[in-house]
Amino acid sequence: MTPTHRLCAGGIVITVATTFLAYLGASSSWQYYVSVDELLADSESFRNSRIRISGEVAPDSLHIAPDRSQGTFVLQGASSELAVKFTGPIPDNLAEGIDVVVEGCLQSTGIVQGNKVLTRCASKYSSGR
Amino acid sequence: MYGVTVLVFGQICLLGAFVASGFSAFVSFVGCNDERRAFRKYGLYSSVVSYVLLTFVILVLVLALLTKDFRFAYVAQYCSQLLPWYYGVSALWVGQSGSLLLWAWFLGSLAMIFRFATSEKADGLKECAFGLLMANYCFLIATMVFAADPMAQSIAIPGEGAGLSPLLQHPAMLIHPPIVFLGYAAWTIPFAIITAALISGRLDASWIQQARPWAIFAWAVLGAGVLLGAEWAYEELGWGGYWGWDPVENGSLIPWLLGTAFMHTLMTWRCRGILKKTTVALAVATFAMCNFATFLTRSGIFSSLHAFSQSPIGWLFLALMIVLALAGVFLIYLRRAKLAADNKISVFFSREVMVAMSTIALLLLAIVTCLGTLSVALSDAIVGHKIIVGPPFYNYVLIPTGLLVLMATALAPLLRWGASPSATEKRMLFGSAAASGFAMLAAVGWGVKHFVSITVIGIVVFAIIALVSSLCFDVLRRYPNNYWESLRRCMREKRNLYTGFLIHLGFFGLAIGITGSSLGARRHQVDIQQGQTVEWAGRSICLVEVIDRELPDKFIAEAVLDISDNGNEPFTLTPAQHLHRLQNEWTTEVAIKSDWDGDFYVILHGSSEEGQVSLTLVENPMMRWLWLGGVTMTLGAVISLWPKLRRTKKHRSLQPPRQGSREDLRLVVESATRIANPEIGAPGNPRKHRQRRNINEPTAT
Repeated sequence: MTPTHRLCAGGIVITVATTFLAYLGASSSWQYYVSVDELLADSESFRNSRIRISGEVAPDSLHIAPDRSQGTFVLQGASSELAVKFTGPIPDNLAEGIDVVVEGCLQSTGIVQGNKVLTRCASKYSSGR
Repeated sequence: MYGVTVLVFGQICLLGAFVASGFSAFVSFVGCNDERRAFRKYGLYSSVVSYVLLTFVILVLVLALLTKDFRFAYVAQYCSQLLPWYYGVSALWVGQSGSLLLWAWFLGSLAMIFRFATSEKADGLKECAFGLLMANYCFLIATMVFAADPMAQSIAIPGEGAGLSPLLQHPAMLIHPPIVFLGYAAWTIPFAIITAALISGRLDASWIQQARPWAIFAWAVLGAGVLLGAEWAYEELGWGGYWGWDPVENGSLIPWLLGTAFMHTLMTWRCRGILKKTTVALAVATFAMCNFATFLTRSGIFSSLHAFSQSPIGWLFLALMIVLALAGVFLIYLRRAKLAADNKISVFFSREVMVAMSTIALLLLAIVTCLGTLSVALSDAIVGHKIIVGPPFYNYVLIPTGLLVLMATALAPLLRWGASPSATEKRMLFGSAAASGFAMLAAVGWGVKHFVSITVIGIVVFAIIALVSSLCFDVLRRYPNNYWESLRRCMREKRNLYTGFLIHLGFFGLAIGITGSSLGARRHQVDIQQGQTVEWAGRSICLVEVIDRELPDKFIAEAVLDISDNGNEPFTLTPAQHLHRLQNEWTTEVAIKSDWDGDFYVILHGSSEEGQVSLTLVENPMMRWLWLGGVTMTLGAVISLWPKLRRTKKHRSLQPPRQGSREDLRLVVESATRIANPEIGAPGNPRKHRQRRNINEPTAT
């Protein structure tokens, strides 16, 4: 076997190994990424699955425990709303009226149990015109 | 009236910069042809005009930020009266139009340096490359003129601006974004040079000599930018980590990975004349992925810590990326004959094979990172549901690819270009492997359990022994009678080689830091009363008091903790929460005690009126090695780019290097004896030095 063939063989081996490990990593960490409206339109499909939901924190809905380890709010979509109960680290800039993404799962009660909340970047690359 | 005049002046300058840059790009392309070289001066003059005008634009905006002139819409959006002046300036790169302006200005500055700084007159290759730079420069200005005007006027002038987000009021944010943009701008230059070489068909060594220093500069700057971003996340975001595989983080990592692979394949092309198509493809891909990163941050297509933004500008960069990819493929096909390899890979255990293996690993990691980042869009297109992957997807892939890159890097110093290792080099390889084995056993005995950690320790020890033995061998075989002179001359004459080794050492430090902090990190959530002491991870943590402080722009609540650590000297940490009044936002200010074996990291979540606080305690092993490794890599790149000093003294003549493994071994033993007994073997008489060029000892360029 020439060195080039050995190199190609090694490349194939590492590629196959990487692909397999990527598959393992994906299968252990994938989540559906949906909006509030998409989730409620087909909630049965997403029940008990790992989901990531985007929306806006509804006004007058945010309540954070004094120890900042848990809280509740209503996540607003274009035409519907969803109650969210979350535990875990609370982003510093979590506030009403901002866009957030919640990671968690939709329970049978229709409430999302979230374990992570992502908030908008401090840099605002909004459209200029 | 003054403010409006300045605004109008800025708008005119921006428009003028756009027109001049477009003209410069056009005539520079025309002037590529030697028969039309008269056009070159028009390209040069118009580029200078464009650059000067854009400089005026950036000065106008910086002045407006410093004077808090809310007539500028940009200033009203990102500045406030109470914002310190240095954060006011940093607001330049926080927003859409300001960051584009800064990127364009960086590109213009680098293009001017590229055009003027070399002593050679412009030839067709350089002129074509300059035309490409101007074209990209014009594109950036066009995005501002048509989609994100930094000189836009406020519709109604507010009395107070919206202010800068408290998360961005951090020293790292003063330099992280501009350095990343400088890195993106810098990668334009090697791309322009290689594209010009492909267009002109001049694929000889000249383009490599021109592109290489720019590639090193761009790689170092982008790497420093990525590292600073990680440092900001570690200190400011307050979740105990430094990398979350966020799409925007990935966006800056991917071009850095590809750029690293490009620099090594470039070296292989130079030394062995192989991997030419790979080198060209990597140059184009690196620059294209810089635009991909911009697409990620500005299109709003992804959920990300960074990218809740929606702008048509992002799609422009995606279109540019696609055009670049297609053009790159076309040019490689067009020049496929000239890109054929000059040599074959004749030996498996050779440097070029190690470069090829690490290139495969870096490419795989970049592709997987890209696929993970695009998983939402791809899954929506393929299966009809948007699916996103988490950090385990990336971490699982990082392990095999990272280990492969580490191993290839460790072996490279003792291997040769196009030839098998010599007998001495084989002995050094076996010696390094033996040391590595002992180190791994010692690690197991010391309590290291994870196989990745044990493997990394083994590879790093191997690499250090290999580097040191390679250096010693080089020093001893050249000037056996004067080690310091020999070391000094080795460092000077083979600077490229040894700065490469220094960068590799930094890479090993980075690997130790990443491995330790990823596999050994521990977290513990605790509620603690004032005066109470809790025990965790061999430490006693006592909450002394909770202090509330009022400042003009914020309210601070901080917890004073006294910590004693396994009999070491006690220390105090004060994690805090800041409430920024203008934005009505809380920020977490973590407290970190850093040491060589790891960081102790404390996050304050909240406090109650009864004096109880909620804390998260984090132990991150080996973190300091991560930062040190990154700094060392950047330092190595800076040293390699430093201008060489002229040799002013005549050097002593030297004995030519000897061949033969037995003689080399005798030298090593003799010299080791001399090191142990300095009185033995005083410096001998000077002899004539005979220089010999050997591809396995590349000379400094």
